Amino acid sequence: MKLRHILAASTAFLALAGTASAETMKIGITQNNVGVDSYQTTYEKAFIAAAKANPDVETVVLDAGGDVARQIAQMEDLIQQDVDAIIIWPTNGEAVIPAVRKAHQAGIPVIVTNSNIAEAGFDFAASFSGPDNITQGARAAEIMCDKFKDMGIDGEARVVHITGQPGYTTAIERAKGFEDRLPEVCPDVTVVDTQPGDWNREKSQQVMEAFLVKYDDIDGVYAGDDNMGVGALNAAKAAGRDGIIFVGATNFAVGYEAMAAGDYWGSIYQSPVDDAEAALQTAIDVLEGKEVPFLNYFDTPKITQDNMGEYEKPVF
Amino acid sequence: MATMTKQRIAQILAKQGILIAFAVFMLAFTIANPKFITVDNVFSVVRSSAILGVMALGVTFVVISGNLDLSVGSMMSFSTIVVLDLHDKLGPLMAIPAMFAMTLCLAAFIGFLVGYLRLNSLIVTLGMLSAIHGLTLTYSGGQNMDIANKTGTWFGVFGQGSALGIPVPILIFAGLAAFLGLVLAKTPFGRKVYAVGGNGTAATFSGIRRARTVFMCYLISGACVATAGLIQASRSLGSQNTVGQGLELQVLAAVILGGASLLGGSGTVFKTVIGVLILGFIQNGLLLVGLQFYVQFVVTWVIIILAVWLDIAAKRGKLWSPIA
Repeated sequence: MKLRHILAASTAFLALAGTASAETMKIGITQNNVGVDSYQTTYEKAFIAAAKANPDVETVVLDAGGDVARQIAQMEDLIQQDVDAIIIWPTNGEAVIPAVRKAHQAGIPVIVTNSNIAEAGFDFAASFSGPDNITQGARAAEIMCDKFKDMGIDGEARVVHITGQPGYTTAIERAKGFEDRLPEVCPDVTVVDTQPGDWNREKSQQVMEAFLVKYDDIDGVYAGDDNMGVGALNAAKAAGRDGIIFVGATNFAVGYEAMAAGDYWGSIYQSPVDDAEAALQTAIDVLEGKEVPFLNYFDTPKITQDNMGEYEKPVF
Repeated sequence: MATMTKQRIAQILAKQGILIAFAVFMLAFTIANPKFITVDNVFSVVRSSAILGVMALGVTFVVISGNLDLSVGSMMSFSTIVVLDLHDKLGPLMAIPAMFAMTLCLAAFIGFLVGYLRLNSLIVTLGMLSAIHGLTLTYSGGQNMDIANKTGTWFGVFGQGSALGIPVPILIFAGLAAFLGLVLAKTPFGRKVYAVGGNGTAATFSGIRRARTVFMCYLISGACVATAGLIQASRSLGSQNTVGQGLELQVLAAVILGGASLLGGSGTVFKTVIGVLILGFIQNGLLLVGLQFYVQFVVTWVIIILAVWLDIAAKRGKLWSPIA
């Protein structure tokens, strides 16, 4: 009798444990500003697709529309709905910290995606999943340096640098990675000027026009993303200045095409699909109690005219 | 005799305060970097200012008629995205008129609300700023718009081409400025715009159809925005959804810098052009001087305030006025 009881109890327990592990995870996400650019649009689509493909995951997908106040309200909604984990793409790395803390205190793990929150909030976040922008900047410096070495101008080359919007973490980190790495690999290459292109192709084109007037000799351009890189390329083409090596970051379709046309040398391949899938996987791993590094970077490899065949054309 | 000439000079100066300011800045930047005044640089600044400039021409009409237009930035993004999308679907020849028609519909809607329903233009166009942005995003699905075959189209001529050695955007800007300048200064319609903006009630009593005049001003603004969108699209043959974002304030700054009153009734096309050029050359000049960019925001503001002050001082005949 006793044995039967024990067996029954343990089977029941096992069954319970079984359902518990197969129970769906409810994951909420509040995104920065879907629709404002193709990267974020593609990210959202990929995130929803990845969540659908996983039967154990149920999602609440929200978008803050670039508005900090709305994002904080969305965080509170998600806490109220008692989701199992929250993924946040911060509209502002500082301002969202109180909301992240609130979720943390409610016992809901928060995964930061794409751009990290400020360091003051690290204690309240379970993990950051996204690209390593410092490494991206450093890799761009290596791409440019290698090309200069091939051309035999690494002893004298002059570079101009067009950054993203001033004050944005991504812009600052990429610029830092590039500026720190370039003197290590190519000590004789000089960065003669740095100006912001605000992630905007037209603005970058204007900045490059001014650079072309100011400097008679420019060998390379590093732009914080391909949109700005292509803007700079347009300016150089219009001015009839050939032979400039363009290197960007976040390979866009326009950059990929310009590489195929031989006008643009290289970039960093950062896929919004990888970004979204990595964020979802990080959230699942955290919920399943797996060991997840706090800075959980996904790989963003170098892409140049030489190896672009290995990569598909970006959809954005 | 000597006092007469002095008075005349003072009179001329009083009318052209903004020109003096312009000349002062040009001189200062040239001293800072002689490359500033090279033909290449001047062309490239005017070419990139042309987009802002064409929009400012239309907004000048709206402002003189006593209204505001804050929707031009969003509307320019809309025109740019639409013409790029239709370029691949209908071909450039059909895409351009179709884009103009769609942009003019939006402008006519604003003109109807402000002109005929007499709604406050600030509220209407501020609302349209985000509504049109939403429309653009819906239209494009948030994707960047790019012409697929960039080498096999003549569409680039409006932004990248040149005729007689002068870039086409500059020709469009200059041509449109001359035409609209004439319309504003020399036609009965132009007089009506001033009258409606100066004193709407008096204008109505003297038989001017106020609503229709305001409506027409918004249509002109819409046509200018569509032209700017065309230049923009043609210049880069691809675009983000946010291409015109924030331009509305720069446009307004240029119009007011040119001396148009926000209360309506005064301003000229010529002075707006000077306002546009000042903004364009400041931006370029600061880049050439090589100021660190965080400082540039502040310096830009200082220069604009200086320009406005020089303009007002010239009108008053003295540098400051203790009694307001």
